[in-house]
Amino acid sequence: MNRPRISRRTMLKSTGLKTAGAVAIGLPLLEEMTLTTASAAGQVEVPVRAFNVFFGLGIPAPLQREGYDGVLEPLKPLRDKLLIMRGVDQLRADEKGINAHYDGATAAFTAQPPDGEAKAGGASIDQVIRRDHYPDGMPPGMVPTLVAGTFFRRSRIGRYVHSFNADGTVAATMQEKPRDLFERVFGTLEAAGDDPDQRRARLRRSVLDAVVDQYKFYTGANSPLGKTSRARVAEHLDRIREYEQRAYAMKGKIEGAPPLPERSTLLHGGSADPGGEGIDITLEELSSEWRLMADLYALAIQTDRTRFGALTFLAAGERIRLTGDYHYDGRKIFQFDDEGQLKKSGSAGCSHEWWHQFNEKKANEALRAHAHLKMREVAYFLSRLDTEESRDANGKTILENSLITISTESGDGRHNDVKRELSGVFHAISGGGGRFKTGQIVDVGAEGVDVYNTMLTAMGCKQRLGPKKRDASHVDAIRV
Amino acid sequence: MRNLLTLALLAFAAPALQSAERVERGLLVRYEMGDGEGRTIQDRSGVGKPLNLVIDRSSRVRRSGGGLVIESSSRIASSQPATKIIDAVKRSNAISVEAWLRPSDTSQSGPARIVSISANTSNRNFTLGQEKNAYDVRLRATESDNNGLPSTASPKRTVQTKLTHVVFTRDAKGKATLYVDGKLVARKTVKGKLRNWNDQYRLVLVNEATGDRPWLGELHLVAIYGRALSQQDVRQNFAAGSQSKAAEPISEQERIARANRRLFDRHVAPLLATHCLECHDAAIKQGDFDLSHKSAALASGESGNAIVPGNVADSLLWDLVTSDDMPKDRPPLSTEEKAVLRKWIDAGATWSVDTIDPAVYLNEGQAGEVWLQRLTVSEYIETVRSAVGVDIGDEARRILPPDLRADGFNNTAYNLNIDLKHVEAYSKLAEIIVDRMDILKFAGRFSKSRKLSTDDTMRDDVAAIGKWLLRGPLDSREINKYSGIATTVASAGGDFEEAIRYIVEAMLQSPRFVYRVEYQHGDGQPRPVDDYELASRMSYILWGAPPDETLMKAADEGELGDSKAVRAQVKRMLHDPRTIRRSQEFVSQWLNLGRLSNLRPNGKRFPNWNAQLALDMQRETLAYFKEVVWAQNRPLADLLNAQVTYASPALAKHYGLEPIGKGIQRYDLTEVPSRGGILTQASVLTIGGDEASMVSRGLFVLNDLLRGTINAPPPCVNTVPPPTKTGLTQRGIAESRVADQKCGVCHIRFEPLAYGLEKFDGIGAYHEQDEHGNKLRDDGEVLFPGTAEPVAYQTSAELMDLLAASQRVQQSLTWKLTQFALGRPLVAADAPVVDQIHQAAQKHGGTYVSLITEIVMSDLVQRARTEAVP
Repeated sequence: MNRPRISRRTMLKSTGLKTAGAVAIGLPLLEEMTLTTASAAGQVEVPVRAFNVFFGLGIPAPLQREGYDGVLEPLKPLRDKLLIMRGVDQLRADEKGINAHYDGATAAFTAQPPDGEAKAGGASIDQVIRRDHYPDGMPPGMVPTLVAGTFFRRSRIGRYVHSFNADGTVAATMQEKPRDLFERVFGTLEAAGDDPDQRRARLRRSVLDAVVDQYKFYTGANSPLGKTSRARVAEHLDRIREYEQRAYAMKGKIEGAPPLPERSTLLHGGSADPGGEGIDITLEELSSEWRLMADLYALAIQTDRTRFGALTFLAAGERIRLTGDYHYDGRKIFQFDDEGQLKKSGSAGCSHEWWHQFNEKKANEALRAHAHLKMREVAYFLSRLDTEESRDANGKTILENSLITISTESGDGRHNDVKRELSGVFHAISGGGGRFKTGQIVDVGAEGVDVYNTMLTAMGCKQRLGPKKRDASHVDAIRV
Repeated sequence: MRNLLTLALLAFAAPALQSAERVERGLLVRYEMGDGEGRTIQDRSGVGKPLNLVIDRSSRVRRSGGGLVIESSSRIASSQPATKIIDAVKRSNAISVEAWLRPSDTSQSGPARIVSISANTSNRNFTLGQEKNAYDVRLRATESDNNGLPSTASPKRTVQTKLTHVVFTRDAKGKATLYVDGKLVARKTVKGKLRNWNDQYRLVLVNEATGDRPWLGELHLVAIYGRALSQQDVRQNFAAGSQSKAAEPISEQERIARANRRLFDRHVAPLLATHCLECHDAAIKQGDFDLSHKSAALASGESGNAIVPGNVADSLLWDLVTSDDMPKDRPPLSTEEKAVLRKWIDAGATWSVDTIDPAVYLNEGQAGEVWLQRLTVSEYIETVRSAVGVDIGDEARRILPPDLRADGFNNTAYNLNIDLKHVEAYSKLAEIIVDRMDILKFAGRFSKSRKLSTDDTMRDDVAAIGKWLLRGPLDSREINKYSGIATTVASAGGDFEEAIRYIVEAMLQSPRFVYRVEYQHGDGQPRPVDDYELASRMSYILWGAPPDETLMKAADEGELGDSKAVRAQVKRMLHDPRTIRRSQEFVSQWLNLGRLSNLRPNGKRFPNWNAQLALDMQRETLAYFKEVVWAQNRPLADLLNAQVTYASPALAKHYGLEPIGKGIQRYDLTEVPSRGGILTQASVLTIGGDEASMVSRGLFVLNDLLRGTINAPPPCVNTVPPPTKTGLTQRGIAESRVADQKCGVCHIRFEPLAYGLEKFDGIGAYHEQDEHGNKLRDDGEVLFPGTAEPVAYQTSAELMDLLAASQRVQQSLTWKLTQFALGRPLVAADAPVVDQIHQAAQKHGGTYVSLITEIVMSDLVQRARTEAVP
């Protein structure tokens, strides 16, 4: 990866430096953007923040038992600021006839089964906290909830969206390209919030993206058109781009915001999920895009543009055929080549299959490498919130001061035993401003709903997740 | 009974019936295995980018008896994925694979692969194989496995070691059939869609891609189609035999003669038409040279022989051209043009026609260009109405830029360009359209499902809606892209209805909606259009609208390969009211009726003119057209002299008729000799402007009725006409121009055509005298293009009768309607087909119905021009 990291510090120091083939953040921060931090300095008060970080496919429970010596190794540098929770069960999320990838993923952060294909069963943790702590809404100009991710598999939304309102609807529109995320955070277009007209404008823009794509095809190498016709369509495409620029260009960006990132070259939208058949992608491509997203998301938190939301690294049941050498800490971990190693093409050649083939009596080399990679990338994001630039007025970092919940879809990828699949689902949380124990790995042996409600109690919330008529158990082991 | 007998004969005929032509529609690849030399087997389909095959070990095969003998394990494969086959099959959900073969024995198994699109022994899109004494076909579909199992097999003992014709077909509904020597031997249903075909597989013959399922024997021909051939198609190909009919050997003399004729057709005739015939045709014949007729051009003239075949030095034409003395008062010929002329004369000055018609060569500059057609404003409105039931006429006419006129029509593809305003308008209109739609009702036409997930039914919904809105099946790339909108909507908290709304909005702006997209690659020669392309061509020609459900169903079922079925569809479609509207669009564009809205005649001179009168004039011509063409079903040429019209009271008064009622009324003109026919209608007469210009009116008759050609006036000529005065009428001014030595050469061709109209003033009112009291005349003469002697007429009515009876006018109407139907100017290569259309239509009365039917049935519609792939 040649791209330099985006950070608040580089924003403060640099002056719009742009490096080859990558984005660098420049220009000093505006007072507006630093206001919270600056004013907070006087009050020594830290805002309440909560974010959900999701990664697809999960870590089989037996591998979690290896602690930081196994696939969790990349989290080790942050272990003092994290609480790893083993033995969290999401069995109540099981819905017959629905793929466990989906109900497990929707249960992450909600502890509820999905309500149909486009809704969760209830609110997610971050939104409960938001509503409780900011009953009158977020401070003006702030992005109320920021939902973003680098993912390809889609179909039902619970696979990739992880922040939900109380009625189970998505809490905010998914930003799946770095540019979209940038515009959402640093553009003035929608800075005021998610009003219906702006939402409509965003959806119409996605329509235009699909239209542009069709015109691009007819001007490209595989166009069925001859020279003269192709020239006509190219002219049309130019006019669309001109129109796009006029109609949808960011009206302006918040002063001092970093430069607009380059356009993503990865597949997005429908192309990213061609009928569940999966896509080919290199480690370099995947990691570069994710890290740009992670940097931008972290920057949004650092600059107090948002305090709630969710970030997804690969969807539930993600289908990619990954290639590339994987190095960590100066050693080669693995050479990814899913299709070659699985000796299958299409969906059967995707990394997904390693989870279906998991066998604790075997080495599970490929699965381990993929899970290790996921932890590396999750750790990358978390570490962005644990730098000097992320230090709040109380001297602690954002990672320490916020409730950041990390979870996934299943505790075992084999579909033949739902109980096994939805038990022992990996969870980790940050300290939440000193409310939770950190530096430990705890076998909680509890239902997700009890774990989450314990977290909400600790965060000072009155609302609870799950059925009202239920004997709740408190998971005191996680609280300070 | 007779048909049945014919079919029976075909069914049992041996491949000795070599004369039948092979079926071409839907062809994707064709290999004549015994053809050529070396390791490459050429794709002879002429469709798209050739998918050539390479023999891996040439030592193991040999060419013999028109086939390729595979003596031991070999593999003949494409070096690239079989993309054009895979894309087409995924789109159509149908396929046919045909092979002429002779198995070496009846014991090979595996199945031994004969034709395969596959990766290895367990992953394939398709395989035709031999399993001992039976043929076996594996086909991947969403409901079969990745190995194409379960397979479709012929009965045992079907395989014989003789030259055999084997065809497998599978239609869009899943019906699979296997034919051996034209006979149906197996039938099965292969359920599911073919959209799960792998894009990366190569086409492999006589083995598996991995080389471990060899087939031995002789392979003569392999062809693959992107549709299911009908039983009749299979029999036709069986009757055509195992080899394409070899071309008759031609002598060297004939080869040279053909080359010379080609030189004349492509270069010399256009050159003479453009540079010489203005002064040297049969009518003008300056210097006694007529270069338009072969006999005259090769005969001696006053000053010698214009053209001496084989002897450029003695050819006066060459002498005058090379010295730049000719063309007189015009730019000299270029070096390249002179070289062509010299080469042609030296080679014997071969003529391929007896007479050069300059009109045929008018558009040669555009001969090789293949433009896709953007929908015109009226087509867009009609397409939206037909596709989603929304009337967007008012908004579309208001915000879409008007289509500009080129070569006499507003639907000329090359001129249907695109502006930022179009893009803005398409976006805005799409939003308005979906706002007006009942989205759930619309979606309900295609599926009962309301599921948003792309893992459930959304992709199927997108495919079905897209096929309807975009006038043909979507490929997987398109389904992916449009489905992506559904997931974006979902991730923004939207529902099924909202997802469909935005998907439709995107489709309404996509190139396949806004343009009539066709496959344009090929070998440079016309190719048969596929069923969906033909359906669109038919519907836009007949209706200016997309195919309806019946026509789409016919395309789905491959029925449009049968000319009888096409003719039946045309007959059905002619009963649709849109056909009348489309025909009125033709007359409106041809006569440029839209011009009337912008006319602003001098108010003092024409105080009766107003916008309503202009509108009445347009309505008159449209109603008249409808009466003559549809109510009376008369020959199209009768538009020139039918003694009837339609007028509002104001227009009737303007014409000197006694108004007979409110609104537009029908007026019998039997007793009104001065009126009758479009040339006597104000909508056309206003072409002459306030001064009733004989130049403008004459040029209209020459260009639009007689298909004559005329060059622009030479530079520095004063084209401002002198005013009329006492003793000098428009006719007098025109006659002096015709008599002028310089001007007359051209003006004699068209001004006398307008003499018969002198009694009509600038806005079409009839007078016996002009404003100065000069008596007006309506006698004159017509010089029909290509003829030497003019024909005299005494009255305007006689002129109309002359024109209506003229073959040249009838041909011109055929040309005009054909041009409108195709949306492009016609070129010389089209001329023979247009002539066939004309002859066939004339046999059926020369009516609009007969003409439009023959146009649809002609090669100009049934075949698409292609651009050669470099």
